[in-house]
Amino acid sequence: MSRHIAHRLLISIPVLFGVLLVGFMLLQVVPTDPATVMAGPTATEADVAALREALGLNEPLWYQFGLYIFRVLQLDLGHSIISNASVVDELISTIGPTVELMIASLIWAVPLGITLGTLAAVRRGRTADRIIMAFSVAGVSMPIFWFGLMLIQYVGFKMELLPFQGRGGPLWTLEGLRFIALPAITLGGVFVGPVARMTRTSLLEVLNADFVRTARAKGAPEKRVVVKHALRNALIPIVTLVGLQIGFLLGGAVVTETMFAWPGVGRLAVGAIVSSDFPLAQGAILMLAVAFLAVNLIVDVLYAYLDPRVGHK
Amino acid sequence: MTDASQTLAPAAATQSDTIKRKSALQRLLRDKPAVIAAIFLILVVLAAIFAPYLTPYDPYNTNMRVRLRPPGGDFLLGTDAQGRDMVTRLLFGIRTTLVIGLCGVLFGGLIGATLGILAAFYKKLDNIIMRVVDVLLSFPSILFGLAIAAVLGAGTFSLIVALSIAAVPTVARISRGAATVVMQNEYMEAGRAVGLSDWTLIWRYLTLNCLSAIFVYLTLQFGQTILLGAALSFLGLGAQPPTAELGTMAAEGRNFLFFAPHVSTIPSVAIFLIVLAFNVLGDALRDVLDPRLRQ
Repeated sequence: MSRHIAHRLLISIPVLFGVLLVGFMLLQVVPTDPATVMAGPTATEADVAALREALGLNEPLWYQFGLYIFRVLQLDLGHSIISNASVVDELISTIGPTVELMIASLIWAVPLGITLGTLAAVRRGRTADRIIMAFSVAGVSMPIFWFGLMLIQYVGFKMELLPFQGRGGPLWTLEGLRFIALPAITLGGVFVGPVARMTRTSLLEVLNADFVRTARAKGAPEKRVVVKHALRNALIPIVTLVGLQIGFLLGGAVVTETMFAWPGVGRLAVGAIVSSDFPLAQGAILMLAVAFLAVNLIVDVLYAYLDPRVGHK
Repeated sequence: MTDASQTLAPAAATQSDTIKRKSALQRLLRDKPAVIAAIFLILVVLAAIFAPYLTPYDPYNTNMRVRLRPPGGDFLLGTDAQGRDMVTRLLFGIRTTLVIGLCGVLFGGLIGATLGILAAFYKKLDNIIMRVVDVLLSFPSILFGLAIAAVLGAGTFSLIVALSIAAVPTVARISRGAATVVMQNEYMEAGRAVGLSDWTLIWRYLTLNCLSAIFVYLTLQFGQTILLGAALSFLGLGAQPPTAELGTMAAEGRNFLFFAPHVSTIPSVAIFLIVLAFNVLGDALRDVLDPRLRQ
């Protein structure tokens, strides 16, 4: 078990290195001098020269990369060109809302997906299965922004049921819940289909297993066979697959946050790129990548914990 | 006797091969949703190719007097904020979106297939290539889009680069799988024994034999590539206005959502239907060609 975790951690190091390299390149490839960029538009020439020296821009590239890693490890990601705010401060204030949105989306989408998938597997080949699977394919094909736009237009604007711009406050307040509702429905909505599909596949595999036949043979009621015997065993691959997909939910979060003016990391990243705020863009992309790696690592470890066979491979 | 069986064996194999292939096509034709999806896609591609001949309007000529007309009347699907005919914008939008998606799938497919085949052929490269592929595969594709738009600036070129990179890892995996199967054939060893160069072995023996498998996979990938491209364009990181591109058009319509919803709805529906058709067709193809996955 601990060996498995250590192994996964070791594998993450070169990946993290690659991510840092991309972040470093982001500041290298830009058409303007990084020192001018990072010093901001109000800086004097002397400031820029001092920053050049401080950033080690007169040193060879590999040395600069080392310096960059050193600075990142000290949580120094520079300052935004536009607001001059510290990039790290911006990231700290935006990561909370992003995590909030992900949780609010998963909390309803995953149970619904597992329920639908179970129903489809049990009613395999019948109408219910066909409808659920058609719904699932449609969900995978739906551009997330269209789903969001429809919700904004009908639920938000025409019916005036829910707000659709910004964040209302912490999740434990009514306002917070009202404001997160539409973004969470949008982001969770695209997740229901894939979860249902994975559940159906895993469950169908388990339903063919010997122990399920045994359970049926000894006369256990069908409901008990499905829920207690089959679903419980199918849950391990489902949890893993869902967990690995959570990272990909980050991609949807970028679009959702931008549409609903949700103050998260994804919106920050898009805004920074569109306005050519290189230090901020670099920081936000770094943050998204690291968050993604962290989620994957946690899922991996969780998987080994749930299924002890994995740790011994 | 032995001679006869030796000559008969390959003939029998080819025969059963044709039977299998025929029944695969027949099975595909019996799948109604797949047939509808295929016909729909053919029509869409034709509409995209002949877009300039199908409409009297220009997709870029603005006319402020007829801006934001609702569907119906003089303009079948209405007009957008610059008074451009939506039917025309839609046809040219499909064109751009399909071409961008095609470039992404082709470039990504080319790089991915090369990496996969090389990994299968040179066992020494296998570990390195597949490690890199695994890393690429583990990242959500939208992150590539963000990073590349940040480095190269937002635009159609960066979009194609991002879509290609996003397609590389999965194509590499599939190609490696297909090539590994081909590698086990005796003719690979025979070719080597005869003294053929690596290049000939890789191209004529290996690549040409796993091309169809890779091609089928690329079809499956197309829908996802289009969806990703549209999302990036919607964010303003892909094709830039006034280019008629479905994701960009949907984003432009956002500002008029409440009084002219058709401007963003029409391109969104188009993306949905095209991607849906690719996914339905892809699922059917996979079911027919890979019976193991059929449940």
